[in-house]
Amino acid sequence: MALLQLENVSKRFGGLVAVNQVSLEIDPGEFVGIVGPNGSGKTTLFNVISGVFYPEEGTVMFEGRDITRLPPFKRAPLGIGRTFQIPRPFASATVRENIAVGAMFGTQGHRLSVDGSLEVADEIIKRVDLAAHRDKAAGTLTPVEKKLMEIARALAMKPKLLLMDEAMAGMHPNDIDQMVAFIKRVADEENIAIVAMVEHIMRAVVGLAEKVIVLHQGSKIVDAPTKEALENPRVVEVYLGHAPEDSAC
Amino acid sequence: MKQIQKYFPLIPVFAAYLIMFFLGENMEGIWQLMSMLLFYCALGQAFNVFMGMTGYVDFGYVAFLGVGTYGMALSITRLVQYEFLGAWIIVIGFGLAMVMSTLLSMAVGAVALRLRGAYFAIATIGVNEGFRFLIEGARIWNGSEGMIFTADLNKVLGRDTAAALCTYWADIMVLVIAALAAFVTLVYMRSKIGYALTALREDEDAAKVMGINVTKFKIIAFITSACFAGLLGATAWALKTPYVFPPEVFEIHYTIEAIIIVMLGGAGTLLGPVVGGLVYGISKYYLSIFLPGFQLLIFAPIILVIIVLFPEGIVGMMKAKTKGTGVERFIV
Repeated sequence: MALLQLENVSKRFGGLVAVNQVSLEIDPGEFVGIVGPNGSGKTTLFNVISGVFYPEEGTVMFEGRDITRLPPFKRAPLGIGRTFQIPRPFASATVRENIAVGAMFGTQGHRLSVDGSLEVADEIIKRVDLAAHRDKAAGTLTPVEKKLMEIARALAMKPKLLLMDEAMAGMHPNDIDQMVAFIKRVADEENIAIVAMVEHIMRAVVGLAEKVIVLHQGSKIVDAPTKEALENPRVVEVYLGHAPEDSAC
Repeated sequence: MKQIQKYFPLIPVFAAYLIMFFLGENMEGIWQLMSMLLFYCALGQAFNVFMGMTGYVDFGYVAFLGVGTYGMALSITRLVQYEFLGAWIIVIGFGLAMVMSTLLSMAVGAVALRLRGAYFAIATIGVNEGFRFLIEGARIWNGSEGMIFTADLNKVLGRDTAAALCTYWADIMVLVIAALAAFVTLVYMRSKIGYALTALREDEDAAKVMGINVTKFKIIAFITSACFAGLLGATAWALKTPYVFPPEVFEIHYTIEAIIIVMLGGAGTLLGPVVGGLVYGISKYYLSIFLPGFQLLIFAPIILVIIVLFPEGIVGMMKAKTKGTGVERFIV
């Protein structure tokens, strides 16, 4: 059974159709890249999956359960975690507390005490190499550290599905390689399905994703294994425009 | 030991309250000042549970003190005829004050807590005035005539005990409420409630996606804060001064004072309301003695300076200064 299943999901803002009849399936443990130029509906799709918006049409199923109209705070305990394009740390709280919040209200939240959550946070801090910043206010971190912290916070939720919104944008290529390796390792260990949204940096997608879904003007145009998808002429067209036709020359 | 250490930050708070108490007990003529300071500390401590921890500003906050005052007043004036109840009518009064402020906070919260930031502040700004006009206009609870229940108290408790209640025990009760509010604040801070409130204060949308039922936690903080306000009204405004008039107990400047105290001391900190209450109370007291009539004129720029220099409040600054030292664990 698919972990996440979207069926003919549409989301409109007034006359603008941000997501148009999108169907897709994500399997447990799968790594999927969602690719598309600016304005192609990626973020809206993420918001529909995490519950920030409810779609006008279609259904969202998670582990066989209809969650189309479930409020976001009820989705996190089911196992849907998320990071944001621009990191959104709880600025005045320390890195440790931020990550503990993830554990506290995530899938294990109901049986974790505050102290237990802080212990989970400590473990994750070691793994993501944030130990030096453990007791700093999250607002004082550098942008890259904030991203790392946000990923750590999402991992502390022990999600089954992790939505990563442009997690790699703005990072140095070396950092990206490290991050990619780390995320891949954790995802494999804990069987987390990852849906990473990517606008520009294809390198991260190629390195990680088993499957790529390409969105264009709200519609899904390609859903295929990575290599195949990136060579698809439709994808090339979306990113680079039409290939010149011989007769026109 | 670790469990006990969690409660270390209460030490400076309780120490401050005890010092106020002993100074008031042992020095001639300053009990009135101490009672005012205790009231401001308690007001800050109660208001901080909501404003400090959630970041929402409730401009109608004084309404909770107002209905708390009415709760006590109603209990005393209406139940005094049942003689077998005796002094229990005061206990019932506390219960009624809590119930009434809780109900009002649920009604206000159900509507206003759907709004955010400035919209919430604007939505609440009319609550106290609205309540006052409701009481006066609909002539409920004696309308604008208010209630005077000195005689009722004398009848129930006897003249001497009633006098001691007004001049002494009411202040002690304020102290107990302040300490209780501080304790609850720390318990919240150390529990999931505190973490949830910090998260929603910093970024409500991110908090939601992280699995936090923000509405639930906002309502918890709102009701707790309102409950303490109700108790405070019942003691400081009903038992201490055994009368109640609508314009006095729904006066918006108490809300403003509560905001100033919390901001001055450090919103969301445990020690903040104590420091803020002391600084505000003492300056107000001496300014009104030495420069009567000018206190607000002088106070406004002082507050501006403090807020510009220490945006995190005095305790926020102290926290930053003591980071990494042994004092750190006492200042929260």
